[in-house]
Parts: sequence; C-alpha cells; structure tokens
Amino acid sequence: MGFIGKGLFEGMVVTARNFVGSYFDKERLVTVQYPEERVQVPENSRTFPFLVFDKDSDPVASMRCVACKICEVECPPQCIYIVMDRDEKGKPQQRPKVFDIDISVCMQCQICVEVCPFDAIKMDNNYEKSQYGRFDELVEHLPELLKSNEFYNKIKPTEATAVDAKLKADAEKKAKKAAPAAKPAATAAKPAAPAAPKPAPVAAPTAKIAIPDDAPFTPEQRQWLSGYLSTVAASGVAPAAAAPVAGTPAAPATEAPAGNWPWHDPGLGMQRRLDLAKETPIADKLMAAMAQTDCHACGYDCRGYADAIATGAETDLSLCLPGEAETANMLKKLMQEAGKL
Amino acid sequence: MIQPLTDAKPYTLTPGSNGVIETQTLEVSIGPQHPSTHGVFRMDCVLDGESVVALKPVMGYLHRNHEQLAERMAWLGSMPYTDRLDYFNSMTNNWAYALAVEKLAGIKVPDRAEYIRVIMAELTRLLNHSCVIGFMLQDLGAWGTPLLYAFRERERILDLYEAVSGSRMMCNYMRFGGVRVNLTDENLATAKDIATRFPRFLDEFEKLLTNNEVLLARTQRVGVLPKELAINAGISGPMARASGVDYDLRKVDKYGVYGRLEFRVPLGDIGDVYDRYYIRVLEMRESIKILQQALRDIPQGPHIAPEVKLRNFKIPPGDGYGRIEGPKGELGFYLVSDEGGKQPYRYHVRPPSFINLTILEDMCVGHKVADVVVILGSVDIVLGEVDR
Repeated sequence: MGFIGKGLFEGMVVTARNFVGSYFDKERLVTVQYPEERVQVPENSRTFPFLVFDKDSDPVASMRCVACKICEVECPPQCIYIVMDRDEKGKPQQRPKVFDIDISVCMQCQICVEVCPFDAIKMDNNYEKSQYGRFDELVEHLPELLKSNEFYNKIKPTEATAVDAKLKADAEKKAKKAAPAAKPAATAAKPAAPAAPKPAPVAAPTAKIAIPDDAPFTPEQRQWLSGYLSTVAASGVAPAAAAPVAGTPAAPATEAPAGNWPWHDPGLGMQRRLDLAKETPIADKLMAAMAQTDCHACGYDCRGYADAIATGAETDLSLCLPGEAETANMLKKLMQEAGKL
Repeated sequence: MIQPLTDAKPYTLTPGSNGVIETQTLEVSIGPQHPSTHGVFRMDCVLDGESVVALKPVMGYLHRNHEQLAERMAWLGSMPYTDRLDYFNSMTNNWAYALAVEKLAGIKVPDRAEYIRVIMAELTRLLNHSCVIGFMLQDLGAWGTPLLYAFRERERILDLYEAVSGSRMMCNYMRFGGVRVNLTDENLATAKDIATRFPRFLDEFEKLLTNNEVLLARTQRVGVLPKELAINAGISGPMARASGVDYDLRKVDKYGVYGRLEFRVPLGDIGDVYDRYYIRVLEMRESIKILQQALRDIPQGPHIAPEVKLRNFKIPPGDGYGRIEGPKGELGFYLVSDEGGKQPYRYHVRPPSFINLTILEDMCVGHKVADVVVILGSVDIVLGEVDR
C-alpha cells in the first residue's frame, strides 16, 4: 500500500522521533556543552609527549631521560631536538641540557614512547594546549616537558603501574647481577683498597680492609668480601698484584665473568674508561669508547656493538647516538690502531 | 596553467538569420574551495546551458609528498603517515601498509591480531559508509540530518578507537606482525555493543532515505557507470560492485582471516548513484555479520609477533605488493627494499579514491551541473588519499 510521498512521510517520522527523543533519550542527545561539561578521556588517549622524572625534590637530576637521542632519530616528523648536558670538562652528564619538542610539528604518533628504552618519555592527554603565538610558544622546552611520575600515575594508572613494576624489576635484576660480578673486581682492587677513604663498619672483627660505603653490596656480601680480602692480605698473597692499574681486572676481560667491565659506567669520562680498558683486547677497548648507556640505539647493547665491530659483523662506526662524534672518532681511531680499518 | 577545454567563441546576443540566439559553452571551475568537492579538489566543467559537455578533474592541491617522505624514513616511521592518507579510515590504511611489509619480510601474524584487525577494519567500513551516505545526501541538499545521524553513530566507533589506540582518527594502531595494543574485555564488550546497536540505526537510516522520493528522483539513472567501463578503468570497491563487478578482495585474496568468515558480496545491476548508495547500506549489513562472527571467534593469545623488532627493523632486498579491500576500494602498497633494507627504496600507494575518480567525466557528461556534485559524492573520495 503505497502513496505518493510515503517515503518522504516516513522520513519525517524518523526525524520527528529523533527531535522529540532528544529531549528524553540520552541516546539521542549526544551533544556535550564543552567548556562547562567535559568528556572524560580514555586512559589510552594521547596528545603530546612529556618527560618523566622520579623525585619531586630534584626533577632535573631524577629525570629518566639519558639523552640517548633514540627518539630524536626515530621521530617521523623530526620534531625533537636534544643536546646532551656536559660538565665544564666536557664529560657527558647522561641527561639532556636541551630537550625541545616542537608541538606544531609533532603528529602525536607515540613512536618516541614506543622506542624509548628508559620509559622516560610518555604521552600526555591534555587536549587544551592553545597558545597566543605561533612560533616560540609552540616549542616546548625542558621545564615545560618535565612531569612527575605521580602525574603519570594519575593520568594513566594502568600503564604507569606496569612501567613502575618493570623498572623496579630491572633495578633488582641489575643489583643482583652487579653483586657476583663485583667479587673479582674487588679482588683486583686490593692494592688500592688500603687507601680507601675511611674504614667502614664491618662485621668481621679481623677485617683490616674496608669496602667503600657506596659499593653496591648487600651486608652479607660486604661481610664475605671483607673477610676474604683480609685473609688474603694477612697471608701475604697478592693475587692481583700484577694488575698495573688499580681497578683493572687481573685476568683479561674475555675470561672474566660476564658483566665485569669496570669501564661500563656512564658516569666515567672517555679517557678514564679507556684507561680502565688499556690492557684488554680490542673488543673491550671499543666497548669502553662507547657511552655505556646500553640504550640499544645502535641495535645492540654496548657489549654487543663492540663485539660486532670487532668481529667485523658491523661496519658502521657511527651508530652510538649518546656517544656522539667523540665515540665515533674514538672507535675509528681504535680500529685504525688495531689495523682493522 | 589549465588549458581551456573548448575554443571560446565570441559571445553575442544578436539573433541569427533564423531568429535564434546563438549561444556558447561556458567553462565553470567548481572548487578548489567549494563545499561539495569534499576538500581541495577542482572540477573544470564545460557547460552547455546546464548540461555538462566536458569535465576535467584537477588534483594535487593537497599533495604532501607522502611517498617520498616514506622513502627517507624507517619502515615504521611511515605508519603514522598512512593514517593521514584516507583520514576517515586510518585503521584500514595501517592494515594495508602492515600487510605489504609483512608480505615482504615474511612475518607471520598471530591469530588474535588477525581477528583484531578484522574487527577494526569492519568497524571502519561501518563508519566510512554511513558517513559517505551522509555526505552524499548533504550534496543533495538534505542539510545535516542524515550526516549528523551518521556522525552520531560514528562517534561511538571513534570512542572505541580512542580507548584502544589513543586517538580517534589518527590511530597508528597496526604494527608489523600484529597490533600495538591488545583489546581488553571491556573494549570487546564495547565492540559487541556497537555491533548489536548498529542494525537498529541502519533500519532508521534506511527508513529516512531508501524510499525517499526526492532521493529516488535525484539519484536513479544518474551517473551510470557501465560494467565494462568500470572494469576497463580499474575501478574497485563499492563503486565497481554497484556496477555489477563481482570483485571483493576479501573474497579474492582471503587475506587475514576473511577465509574463515561467512559473508556475501552485494552487487548492483545498473551502476547509478542510487545503486552506489544502496550497495553501501548492504555492505554495512554484511560488515555487521562479519563483526559478530569475529567477536564470537576471537581467540586468546599474543597480539603481536614477538620476533619483530620495533627499531632497526630491516627487510632483505625484494619487492612486494600488499592490498586490502578498504572501504573505498582496493588499497595497495607496493614496496621495494634494497641493500641495507632500513627503509623502502620505493614506496608506492595504490589509492582507491584516486583511481575511482578518474572515471568522473564519463559519468557526468550529459547530466545537469547539479548532478555533478551528487555523482562526485557517490564516488566517495578523500582528498588526502587522492593527492597524497
């Protein structure tokens, strides 16, 4: 049973139902009066990146960013600019001096977050970022970018909890790994040990040699080490006396247990690291020339990259991003000295 | 410089010897700043009175150098740029690119990821088709009503996208070997809710439009695209199927898990604007069926292949073409990897909008100028994809 205009009439019924329904039915009234009313954004929602720091007392020192520049390289529209902080002697400080994000270029793709090995950069969900200017106002610098871990926990609870748990597990693993590895190193350090600044309270009463307070040992390890060293010292046997430089492992690093690389400390300067690795095979020297952040910017950890260069599997010497030109030049020099280049 | 399509004759109002006023054709430029061109697109029409004599599509106003940009960055780097091709359907764009790279690198995608991809792609089809119908009606003069009803439904899907991927439209969700974030049970419940609600909206939508006399009068036998011409011109997607070409990559290639899902491919017989409208409605109904099956069958498991590296991802030399049935048609990525394999040596997009647009003149000639905007609306273009 059709009549002319039936389709039109039915359409009108639909619009009328929607119009009237919008007064009663929440389903049909979907408008939100924005500045007064706000929609809760989902936890995953993302806008622009920020940098996470851990301690409120000192944001700059406790920021997780180590200026490894992975995000700068991986950012598709190239909106990140990083300069590593250096002290007056030119030693890298493992944190950025300049960290700029041009939010007029940033396309909110989250790739910087995904590639960051330190969980240092995360996405904000603040969608009200309008500014009065179009140029400098749209470049965010380090002070604006730094946000606390509490803030991160507040805006993205699920994600932040997982990240915190992961970081904690990593730290514990590292501490565990450092402990056994430290044994031979401490042995080797014996000749230097008597010159330790002040004797630490040690459980063993016979202990004459103290382990520095800040050495990363558990009390049990400390006790064991002190006892061991004292015994060795008392017996007059100096197992590491042959070591020419304090802190250098007596045995070549290849024989040392994995993870025993005294130069593997990002806080040391390039010269100091190379000194530590002076008597070691080429792979270790190469490793000492790197920035020691294990950031995987090159596609390996520091050890892996050094081994890959030494074996010839990797020919590109410029992959160490945090080490900048200093590392690249040193790698080249070392390779030339070794006659491999 | 745009060359005039006809030799302009001097304009005169003097009646000739037979008493008839001599007329001339008029060249009208529709766009690039015109609401009915769906972006910055220009149509150079030659009109005889109100009828179209010739029509030349002019593209390139939104050219962003997409392909060359992709050739200078890592494989993953161009994934967020694919969002910006067809900015209505970032999920399917992501999928097409990921599929091409997976083919080239020989990556196996876990089952759950495949199902998630199907769910996202079919949701994308729903939102694209409903909005396209809305835009086409907008061009017809149905100001706002159908479009805003479509937007209301689309918003539910976009909310799900935001909850899952973090962004409503620029999702950047697929990764090589899977998807970036796993779907939670809550997300799946939302998707199920959308799949159960959508048919009701579709019924209402159809009641509003399908038998509407104005729509029938304006769209039937307008902009007919014959089957032979559609095949010759390489038309794909709903536009080809409206002309009766039985070609759906979900059936032909059976990529992803489409081989396991049951659905039919609706076909039109005339290939006019009305067919193109109705094909989309029918496709949405099939999409809902696919969605319900995928949501029922989705297995547990990893959402991304664990062996795929995010950084320093390298592909051995070779070339590959990955294509999917996007909501607008066959979306393909042709990729060439060379020595080093850190970035594509060649990166080419086969955009459905662009190729479907090439046939515009054949559909428009002989119709009134008012029909041109309707025909363009029924082609379903997004200028981000046409110009790249």
